[in-house]
Amino acid sequence: MKRSTTFLAHALLTALVAAGAVGSAAAADIKIGAAEALSGPAGQYGQSIRNGLQLAVDEINASGGVKGNKLVLQIEDEQGKKEQAIDVFKKLIFQDKVLMVFGPTLSNSAQAADPIAQAAKVVVFGTSNTADGITSIGDYVFRNSVTEADVLPETLRVAIKHANIKKVAVLYGNDDVFTKSGYDAFKKALETLKVPVTTTETFAKGDVDFKAQLTKIKASGADAVVLSALIAEGAPIMVQARQLGLDVPFIGGNGMNSVKIFDLAKEKSDNLWVGSPWALTSQTKENQHFVVAYTQKYKAAPDQFGAQAYDAVAIVAAALGKVKLSGNLDADRQALRDALPTVTHTGATGAFKFRQATTKDGKPAGYDAQQAAIVSVTKGGKYMIEN
Amino acid sequence: MLGQQLVNALSLGCVYALFALGFTLVFGVLGVINLSHGAVFMIGAYAALQLVAHLSFPLWAALIAAFLVSGAVGLAIDVAVLRPLRQRNAPHLIPMIATIGIAIFFNSASQGVFGAENLRFPGDLLPDQQLHFANVQVSVLEVAIIGLSFALMAGLLVVMRKTRLGRALRAIAESPKAAALLGINVEGLFYLTSATAAALGGISGVLIALYSNAVFPLMGQPMLHKGIAVIILGGMGDIRGALIGGLFLGFAEVMSVAYIGSTMRDAVAFGLLFVVLLLRPQGMFGRVLERKA
Amino acid sequence: MEWFDSFWQVYSNLVLTVGINALLALSIWLTLSCGLLAMANAAFMGIGAYTAALLTMSLGAPFAVALAGGIAAPTVVALVIGGPTLRLSGVYLAMATLGFGEVVRVLILNAESLTGGALGLNGIPQLTQWWHVLLALVGTLLILWRMRRSRIGRAFEAIKEDAVAASLMGIGVMAHKMLAFALGAAIAGLAGALNAHLTFFIGPSEFGFDRGVDILTMAILGGTGGLTGPVLGALIITLLPELLRGFRDFRTMMNGAILVLIVLFLPKGLWDPQRVRQWLGPGRR
Repeated sequence: MKRSTTFLAHALLTALVAAGAVGSAAAADIKIGAAEALSGPAGQYGQSIRNGLQLAVDEINASGGVKGNKLVLQIEDEQGKKEQAIDVFKKLIFQDKVLMVFGPTLSNSAQAADPIAQAAKVVVFGTSNTADGITSIGDYVFRNSVTEADVLPETLRVAIKHANIKKVAVLYGNDDVFTKSGYDAFKKALETLKVPVTTTETFAKGDVDFKAQLTKIKASGADAVVLSALIAEGAPIMVQARQLGLDVPFIGGNGMNSVKIFDLAKEKSDNLWVGSPWALTSQTKENQHFVVAYTQKYKAAPDQFGAQAYDAVAIVAAALGKVKLSGNLDADRQALRDALPTVTHTGATGAFKFRQATTKDGKPAGYDAQQAAIVSVTKGGKYMIEN
Repeated sequence: MLGQQLVNALSLGCVYALFALGFTLVFGVLGVINLSHGAVFMIGAYAALQLVAHLSFPLWAALIAAFLVSGAVGLAIDVAVLRPLRQRNAPHLIPMIATIGIAIFFNSASQGVFGAENLRFPGDLLPDQQLHFANVQVSVLEVAIIGLSFALMAGLLVVMRKTRLGRALRAIAESPKAAALLGINVEGLFYLTSATAAALGGISGVLIALYSNAVFPLMGQPMLHKGIAVIILGGMGDIRGALIGGLFLGFAEVMSVAYIGSTMRDAVAFGLLFVVLLLRPQGMFGRVLERKA
Repeated sequence: MEWFDSFWQVYSNLVLTVGINALLALSIWLTLSCGLLAMANAAFMGIGAYTAALLTMSLGAPFAVALAGGIAAPTVVALVIGGPTLRLSGVYLAMATLGFGEVVRVLILNAESLTGGALGLNGIPQLTQWWHVLLALVGTLLILWRMRRSRIGRAFEAIKEDAVAASLMGIGVMAHKMLAFALGAAIAGLAGALNAHLTFFIGPSEFGFDRGVDILTMAILGGTGGLTGPVLGALIITLLPELLRGFRDFRTMMNGAILVLIVLFLPKGLWDPQRVRQWLGPGRR
């Protein structure tokens, strides 16, 4: 009897050790959360972002994952509503226990939901938030979406140089956070460059008619129109402007950087200057790879939202490569946060690194994108890069 | 600039009026705030777009198609949802809530089927020329919209005032029970009104989509908000009110952009709305008392 | 209690939102109980939210003061616009108050220096605790319940049935309507103030048409026969996005369809005391 007990004990011990060994050798999936607006008015942006995220995750997994561990992307729909963003963040962080969260899509939602991540000490990484007051929330907030404040001065400089612009009129959407912050950035840049503004006009989301504003702009004799709008209003604005005989160049913000302008405005889309960290026609190796892969997988050309989401995953993967995951969720979340700020990456959007922001009281906070802008002008249905 | 702005105001006002006509018709005859009018407006635009883009229909055929498709949807909504609510004498807010649900359903269905991005009608559908006169530019489409709004208003007024059908509709608007007692086919006329109003909504959807170069699932919603403002200004349920209210709103918006400053545009327009609400809440041509049952 | 802690971590926001929505639904129930189809409560909520947030953020006021301001401001506005608009009845009143809602939204949007315009107010201190919401809800329910059983409540019912007859009976119709309207505004303002201090951020687009539609739907869905209905309606409408999450892209469509179906097949809303009695059988009173 004693011998069989001993034998049993030995067998059990061996089994346990073997199981432990197998356990530590097996790959542990890395769960990454994403809260994006997959439906509702911001649905088209959220869907582009989702495509970019998924494409990058699939590519990384296909080449073995991060140090052998596969990335698992859990995407939830926050509908472009801030309450939903808060609920989804809480679910991903506390229930699904993800390592970090991408998103949300809109700046409004970020202002409401990012504090949740900050308080829970979980990295939140925005790929499309460009308004103020986001990275100043705290040091767990990151974004790779270059703000208008960084891009616009460059766009203005190049456009003014090429098109011999002396004075401009400004037109912006005053009921949308994105277009309003864009305007604030434009205004500051114009003041710095000492460009006189002949008249400033506004419109609202969902407007169909801009002729009153455009007529006034034409009468003011401006050499160009600085436009802070999303494509939904931006395209009709350009068409109606050309119809009224307003043929001057348009200088647009981030929202106007989309190939959709060619579909929507056809031949009236010429002479639009945009600056952005990403251009479809940029010929870098990384961008071409991205464009081909995206077009193949989703049967449509990518836009800036997809490109930034794609690069964001690579940035996070690079950080994960520097980190040893211990299995303790809190420790791992903090380790990821500590590894991110020093990551540099050259992706579809070009060379990238982080730049720390400050809180309202001047203390160090989250991390903004530090990237050069590419300026292009539309001509004959394409974006041509200029500098 | 004044001349051009006046023309701008006229065409914008007629855009609003076109939408409001169908909206106010349902309100006047059925006594229902039909918040699915934005959805049938959108359906008309998409129907026309599909036919033009995929089957190469000419514009006039697409307009007729939009008329029929939206009209059919309007009729279906009436028969399936509004009629049962009428039959059990539901208080007024109930049908309104039902139309809200219908709008949500159709708006998100179209986002699911057609995608959320903006689409646009092919550019060669309408002659692109601008007409020039007296230093003013106006497009063929704008002229069409202006003409159509006035023609529709005139046509509807003639029907209302001079025909038996019109008298029957006015009797129903006054009191459906009394009208039924007089032998009027109230249910049938309700169907007709719902279908016609929706059909008008569909046509305005196509025209406005052409005007603004945008077809997207939620396109009916901003128009609905303006439509509410228009019928408050003009008087709820009154056909003249739809056009006059639309023109009034269009002028207020354009003139405040031109001469005050576009940041003040909505403030002026809604300030006017507010003043009307305070001083004459029933609007220009509206009535204070509710219809009798 | 561990499961409760983790439940609370994930769902605290949702639970508090249910409470706040219940307040909103009750505010509109109150006006409905007097026969008023007033759709201005989203705007009143917005006025309350901005007032309270500005008091906390710009003047550093204590929370209680901010809440009081959030209650007072919309009440004052309601008293001002009540006079002319309450002359209207039925759907006309509904339309007029919808229009008023748009006016408020535009005002908030344009008063940039005060309200931040489109950018909204960001970084509102998160002062709302679960017991604030609970207290507010219980307090409101208590007040409304007492009111129902009092002369005022009976007057409301009389006015709802037939305003002309009620005035012939000596009931001050206009005064009672104003009471319902203003008190409804106060409750909506309180809800707004609590909401602002829960979600860090408020913007003008949250208090417009869509919000008004949501509030109305909650009340009608739940049933306007009694006080339970609006609370139940708030619970369902708030939880619906969570429950429907499995439907992925069809979620919003289901939302709309459910609304239509409930309106068609459950006319008195979900909580209908009569139907409940029927179910429980003839043995009960």
